[in-house]
Amino acid sequence: MKIFKFIVSKIFLRKAILGIGVMLLLCMANYITFTAARSILSTFQGYQETKYVNQEGVYIANLDPDSHIDMNIIGENGTQAVYDYLNSNFKYAFYTDGFIVSVPNSDDMEISLGYMNEQYNRLNGFELSQGTDLYFDYQLEGEIPVLIGKGLSKTYPVGSTIKIEESVIGRPLTLQVQGVLKQNAYHSNYYALNSKTYYNFSILIPVNEEFINHASMDIQLNGLMDITLLDTSKEEIANLSEIIKDNLGLRFNFFSQKENYDYFNEYYLHSLKIIFITTFILLIVITCLSVWNALVSVRLMLKDFTINLLVGLSYSKLKRIFYGYFGMIAFINVALISIFTAFNRYGCWLRKDATFATYGLFGLIGMDWLALLSVVASDIIIGIIIVESMLWKIKKVPISLGVLQ
Amino acid sequence: MTKIIDLSVKEKIYKSKKSKLSILNNFSLEVAAGEKIAIVGESGVGKSSLLNIIGLIDRDYNGEYTLLGSATNNLHTSELAQWRNQKIGFVLQESALINSLTIEDNIKLPLLYAGSGKKEFKPEDFESVINAIGIKPILKKKPLECSGGEKARAVFARGIIMKPQIILADEPTASLDMENRERIVTLLFKMNREFNTTIITVTHDLEIANRHDRVIHLESNSKCFAGVMKQ
Amino acid sequence: MKRSLFRLTDMLELSIAYIICFSLNLLLDYAKTLDLDAYILKAFLKNFIDCQSLIVSLFTFIVIVFHYQMLERRKAEIFCRILVGGTVFNIAIRYMLDCITVLFFVYLLLALVNLHLGFNLASNFYLVLIFVAYILISARQVRKYENF
Repeated sequence: MKIFKFIVSKIFLRKAILGIGVMLLLCMANYITFTAARSILSTFQGYQETKYVNQEGVYIANLDPDSHIDMNIIGENGTQAVYDYLNSNFKYAFYTDGFIVSVPNSDDMEISLGYMNEQYNRLNGFELSQGTDLYFDYQLEGEIPVLIGKGLSKTYPVGSTIKIEESVIGRPLTLQVQGVLKQNAYHSNYYALNSKTYYNFSILIPVNEEFINHASMDIQLNGLMDITLLDTSKEEIANLSEIIKDNLGLRFNFFSQKENYDYFNEYYLHSLKIIFITTFILLIVITCLSVWNALVSVRLMLKDFTINLLVGLSYSKLKRIFYGYFGMIAFINVALISIFTAFNRYGCWLRKDATFATYGLFGLIGMDWLALLSVVASDIIIGIIIVESMLWKIKKVPISLGVLQ
Repeated sequence: MTKIIDLSVKEKIYKSKKSKLSILNNFSLEVAAGEKIAIVGESGVGKSSLLNIIGLIDRDYNGEYTLLGSATNNLHTSELAQWRNQKIGFVLQESALINSLTIEDNIKLPLLYAGSGKKEFKPEDFESVINAIGIKPILKKKPLECSGGEKARAVFARGIIMKPQIILADEPTASLDMENRERIVTLLFKMNREFNTTIITVTHDLEIANRHDRVIHLESNSKCFAGVMKQ
Repeated sequence: MKRSLFRLTDMLELSIAYIICFSLNLLLDYAKTLDLDAYILKAFLKNFIDCQSLIVSLFTFIVIVFHYQMLERRKAEIFCRILVGGTVFNIAIRYMLDCITVLFFVYLLLALVNLHLGFNLASNFYLVLIFVAYILISARQVRKYENF
């Protein structure tokens, strides 16, 4: 340790520009790796989630991009007619969220309400950390069982009730906490698999036929945008498309399992490939620059190293010092990226952004830790390349008295 | 007298992309403890290369080398480093100092690598070395702030700080004035007298060479060791 | 070359350093213009486009490293030139001119690429100012080696 401290402070840091050079290059390599790893991991998580939905006989609705929403045409009767048709002819999974409501809580967050029906709960429901699963045969007049996010569980433990003024039904509702979602429960956006909504400050309300019949047009329309039809066929869906078009003037596409897979392969796989290749090329460029920087360092410090080797430093010790020095720089970089990420995540708490507020060790969630792991792996590879190049350069000019003359 | 160096080099080759140079062909050297040897010869005949081999810096040669009774050819690099630290002292030209360190740090550099096999070293030892060499006033200075003579004495102090059994001096007086030259040579011989240290000096200065016990003339392309025993 | 501190490899190294910085800026400019359908790609690139100036500016540090190591290695040469009749002023001027010539040609090359891709030429100009500042600062360092 004494030797390490000596070499670092008296030789490496005396030529600080070279050290800063390696540090900045590594910082950029780490940032690129971290960003790419998180994009890939997040997309992968989203893809895993779509697997639940992506089954034989399941069709996912999507508003045709060329179809425009004209709110003058759309009326409550129209949306109700569509749901009447859906209720009598289809088994469907309904889910919609993003309705903000003020509910007192210890973190002073605005609360997002999510609505899901029984089919959705079966297909892609949430895991719980406390309490029991939802039931759907409740009466609107009584207490409605709900699931809440971890952030609300201190203020509203299982069994407690929450009174809210809710715009969807348009009257005060009494909700009873049935269960608490697992920490950082999330859902991915079907059309942007790498983006997520976190439910730490959400209330999930079960939706049944009675609820839909009393609900406002907004939620009915929103729910329709992402509706998932189960155990059905192209022919049956054709009629539904007609009903939607007649009542709402909207054209919907319904995608089958095969179409979803094709879409994934064409769209996401392609994007992931581009991200991977771009990252790889950038890392190679940065590694080459780092090696150049390292060789320049050796060239300028050769005399100092030679004198140290003459008076008792061995190559193996020098190698350990190089790895230690690089490890130290890598550690500082990883720490900086961790702090930067934790600060970003903490920013969501400061902004009271309930859909992105997350819990985690030192403010980082699982995906961040995995991305950091990939950063460490890339640092190890870059480190080995740089240190071995430096040693190669030093050994190429063997220590000799001639170097010192 | 105890033999402390027994070296036999068949050949030492320097290769470059375009050429190949073979030196020290069939060269052999035996040195007894406490002997003072000077190596002289034209530039390029292999004087410094020989010192590199004796000093355990260079092992890339065809031959055998026994130092202090141990064969060195199979020693691990970390063992070689330890031997350089404990048993050999290098006295080089004044430019062989690390400019970013103070003179004191430069002199104490070998102590850093002494490790567990460290000889007992007392602060008084350091004091006595710098007092003997007369460099106390410059200890806190950086090499670039010192004169050539001062730097040469600092290099000398670093070479003897571990009280080595062998001192290898590579043209230690090459760029010094008469006064400083005499000072360094006197210090070298004092080490030899007081501690029975073996001295091997590479020099172009025949006057200094002749003050050694033995002078070895290296000649280019020589197949045999050319040594003259001086009395 | 005889009067210059630069050798061919130095010229090449400096050109490559400039090209890398300009190209990075160009690439990020290009990424801005891409009309991507893929949200995932957009989100990925946004991480870099949002801090383009910072990333490119940090990358220019490799040019500082070049100037630093180049002058450190030329210490003895600067001293020898002064010994044989050169002046610090002339050496520094010559050094600046060499660097600016390399910068000019690299900028010209990248400007042509910019024009070809239809980008604004001014988008690269801030890098020229940064590099000129580096050249001026490093030229002052030549004076440091007056006494070897």
